[in-house]
Amino acid sequence: MLALVALTPAQAQKTDRAKAIGHRMFCMCGCKQILVECNHVGCTMSTAMLKKLDAEVASGKSDDLILQAFVQDFGAEVIAEPPAKGFNWLAWIMPFAVVGGGLWVIRALLSRWHQPAPALPSGSAPPPDVLARIREETDREE
Amino acid sequence: MDLFGSFALLLAFACAGYAILAGLAGIRTRNPLLLKSARNAGMAVCILVVLGTASLVYLFYTNNFALAYVAEHSSRDLPSFYKLPALWSGQQGSLLFWSFLLSIYTFFVLFTNRGKHPELMPWVGVILASVQIFFLTLNCFVASPFSLLGAVGPSGAPMILARADGNGLNPLLQYPEMAAHPPNLYLGYTGFTIPFAFALAALLGRYPGEKWIHLTRRWTMVAWGFQSVGILLGAHWAYAVLGWGGYWAWDPVENASLMPWLTGTAFLHSVMMQEKRGMMKVWNIWLVFITFLLCILGTFLTRSGVVSSVHAFAQSSIGQWFAGFLVLILAVCLLAYFKNRDYLKSDNQLDSMVSRESSFLFNNLILLAACFAVLWGTLFPVISEAFTGNKISVGPPFFNKVNIPIGLFLLFLTGVGPLLAWRKTSADSLIRNFGWPLVGGALAGAAAFAGGFRHFYALICLALCVFVTLTIGGEFFRGAKVIRARTGMNWLSAVSELSLRNTRRYGGYVIHFGIVLIFVGLAGSAFNKDVQQAIHPGEQFSIGPYTLLCQEFETRQGPNYTAERATIEVTRNGKSLLMLYPERRQFNTANNETGTMVSIYSTAREDLYVVYAGRDPDSGAPIVHAYLNPLVKWIWIGGFVLILGTGLSILPNQRVAIVLSAARQYAEGGPAPATSPAPVSPYGAQH
Repeated sequence: MLALVALTPAQAQKTDRAKAIGHRMFCMCGCKQILVECNHVGCTMSTAMLKKLDAEVASGKSDDLILQAFVQDFGAEVIAEPPAKGFNWLAWIMPFAVVGGGLWVIRALLSRWHQPAPALPSGSAPPPDVLARIREETDREE
Repeated sequence: MDLFGSFALLLAFACAGYAILAGLAGIRTRNPLLLKSARNAGMAVCILVVLGTASLVYLFYTNNFALAYVAEHSSRDLPSFYKLPALWSGQQGSLLFWSFLLSIYTFFVLFTNRGKHPELMPWVGVILASVQIFFLTLNCFVASPFSLLGAVGPSGAPMILARADGNGLNPLLQYPEMAAHPPNLYLGYTGFTIPFAFALAALLGRYPGEKWIHLTRRWTMVAWGFQSVGILLGAHWAYAVLGWGGYWAWDPVENASLMPWLTGTAFLHSVMMQEKRGMMKVWNIWLVFITFLLCILGTFLTRSGVVSSVHAFAQSSIGQWFAGFLVLILAVCLLAYFKNRDYLKSDNQLDSMVSRESSFLFNNLILLAACFAVLWGTLFPVISEAFTGNKISVGPPFFNKVNIPIGLFLLFLTGVGPLLAWRKTSADSLIRNFGWPLVGGALAGAAAFAGGFRHFYALICLALCVFVTLTIGGEFFRGAKVIRARTGMNWLSAVSELSLRNTRRYGGYVIHFGIVLIFVGLAGSAFNKDVQQAIHPGEQFSIGPYTLLCQEFETRQGPNYTAERATIEVTRNGKSLLMLYPERRQFNTANNETGTMVSIYSTAREDLYVVYAGRDPDSGAPIVHAYLNPLVKWIWIGGFVLILGTGLSILPNQRVAIVLSAARQYAEGGPAPATSPAPVSPYGAQH
C-alpha cells in the first residue's frame, strides 16, 4: 500500500509549452519513457524533472535554453532525438539519403529496362504466334 | 519430467543433425531412401520438441519450483490461465517456444510436400533443420529451461533445492492480450523461415522457374498475417495496459518486430513482378533473405542488451550466439548467391514508365527506406557512442519526424499502384481510374482545411485516405458492376463473387483498406489532449466534452495483488454516460511489482482514457490523468480488416467455368452448344 501511494508524477506541465518540451525528453530513471509519459510507480526522477521543467518554462527561457539546462544536468541522453550537429547529423541525413539514392537507382533501372514495343506497319495484323503469346500472357496477368 | 523434457530436446537436436547430414548426403548421391529418412527425421524433430515443451508446461502447472525457470516466472497463486504464458515470459522458455513453433511449421511444410518437388524439398529440409539445430543448441546447452535450482549440501555434494513458492509472473504479462501477443509475433518470426528456406533452396538447387514462389506465397502470407496480429496486439496492450496514453513508443523491441514486417510487405509485392514478368529475381531473393535476417536480428537486439529497452530480456551472453548465427546466415546467403547468381538472370523489360512494375519499384523503395530508418534510429545510439564516445538517445521525436513523410508517401502508393496496368497504363486509363479519387481526396482536404483543420501531416493523411479509399472502392465497383450485369446479382453478392474469383487481388485491396483505416487512427494522434489533476472525492474536472466527477477511492484485494481504485462518473452535456474504474495494482511478487488498469471509454470519434496515477507526494491527494485520443479505435478496426483481407487472400480462387464444358461435349460428338452459353457451375474450377 505504501508503494502505491509513494512517488507519483508531479502535478506539473501546467502549460502546453511545458508538455511540448517534455515530449522531447526522456525520463532519466532508466524506464526509457518520454518524460511527460513516464508513469511507473516509484520513479525517482520524473517528479523532480517535471518540477524543474515547469520552473524553467515559468522563467521565460527559450525552448533551446531549457533543453540545454537539462542536458547540463543529465547529459545528452536526456534529449529524445539526436542533436543536429557534428557526427549526429548523420542520424537525420541517412534515411533521406537512402530515399534519394533509391530514387536515383530506380530512375537508372527504369531507363535501362524501358524498351517500348516496336510499332507495327500500318494495315498488318500481328502474326498468329505473337497473338497466341499475348493472349497467354494476358490470361496470366489477370 | 524435467529429465524427460531435457532428453526429448537432446533427441530433437540429434534428429535435426541427422536431417542435415542425411539430407546433404541424399542430395549428393540422389539416394531416395536417404532423402526420405532425412525428411522423416525433420518431422520427428517436431514431435520431440512438442514433448519437450509439454514437459515444461506440465512443470508449470504442477508448481515444480525445483526448476529455476518455473521458480523465476510462476507462483502458486498465479491464475492457471497465466501459467501457460509464463512458459514464454523469460529467455529460456521463449527460446524453447521459438523452437516449438518452428518445428510445427517445419513439420507441416515437410508433410504437405512429401513426394513432391524432389529437386527442391531436400534442400528445404536441410535448411529448416539447420535453423532448428541452432535454436536446439541454445535450448539444450546454452539456455536450458530445465535447469534445476541447486545448492551445495552439508557433505559438499550438490543437491536439488526446491523452493516453496516462485517469484510469480511479471504483472505486465498478466493480461489476456499479453498471453496472445508473443505467440502471434513468434508465429510471424518463425514463419518467415519458410520462405527463406524455399528461396535459399531454389538458389542452391538452381530450381527452374518461379514455382518456389507459388509454393511459398501462402506460407509467407500466413507469417506476415501473424506478424501483423502480433504487432497490433502489442500496440493494443501498450495502450490498454501501460497507461501512458499511447500505443507505440518506437522502443527497440517494437522496432525489431516492425522491420521484418516492412521487408516482408515489400517481398509480398515485388514477388508479383517475378511471377508475372519474371523480373526482379535477384532483388526478391535478397528481400526474403533480409526479412529472415531481420527476424534473427530482432531477437538478437531483444536478448543481447546491445540496445536498452523496457521490453528486453535480462542481458546475457546469448547475444554472442545470435551475432554468430547472423554472420553465418549472411555468409551462406552470400556464398549461395555468388555461386549461383547466373541462375537469377532475368529479362528485365519495361514497356512504360507508367506501369505497375514501376509502382512496385517505388513501393519497395519506400518500404525499405522505412525499414532502414527504423533500423538506423534503433542502432544509432550505439553507432554514435562508438564513433564519438558520447551517449545520445534516439526516441519518438526522431522516428516520427522521419517516418511520417515516408509513411504518407507509402499511403499514396497504396492508392496508385494497384490501378496501374502491367506493362503500360494509357492516359485514358489514368484519367478513368484516378480522376474521381484525386478529386475526392482534394475536396476532402480542402473541406477539412476550411473547417479549421490545420495540422499539416494530418491534413495530407486525410486527403490521401479518402483518395485511396475511393481507388479501392472504384475497383470493387467496376468489377461488381460487370458481374451484376451478367448475373443479375445484388451488389453484396456481386462483390462477394468478385472477391472469391480473385482472392489474392481483392484480398489485397481489403488489406489496403485496413491500412487506410489504421492511418486514419494514427492521424488522430495529432490532436491528442490530456489533463492531469489532483482530485478528491466529490471534485471534478473537464477534458473536451467530458466532465469527470470523482466519487471515491478504495482499496481492494485481487487473487494475487492489492489495488487502489478510483470510481469516476463521466458526464457529457450534463448527462451521465458511464462509470470508469481506473486502478493501480501492486502484485504479491518478490519485487512487489505494480501495474495499471486503464479505463477507456471508446467511440468511433475518440477515446476517453483515464489512468489513476497515484497520489500527490506533497498533499497525498489522488491524481487522475485523463486523455482524449481522437480516432484511436480505427487503428484496431483497421487491424481487424487487415486480418480479414489476409485470410481472403490466402483462400483459393473460385472461378466460373463458362462455355468450355458445352464446347467440349460438342467436340466429342454431343449436341451443339446453345447460342448463349450459360455458366455450367459457379464454382467449376478451383485454383
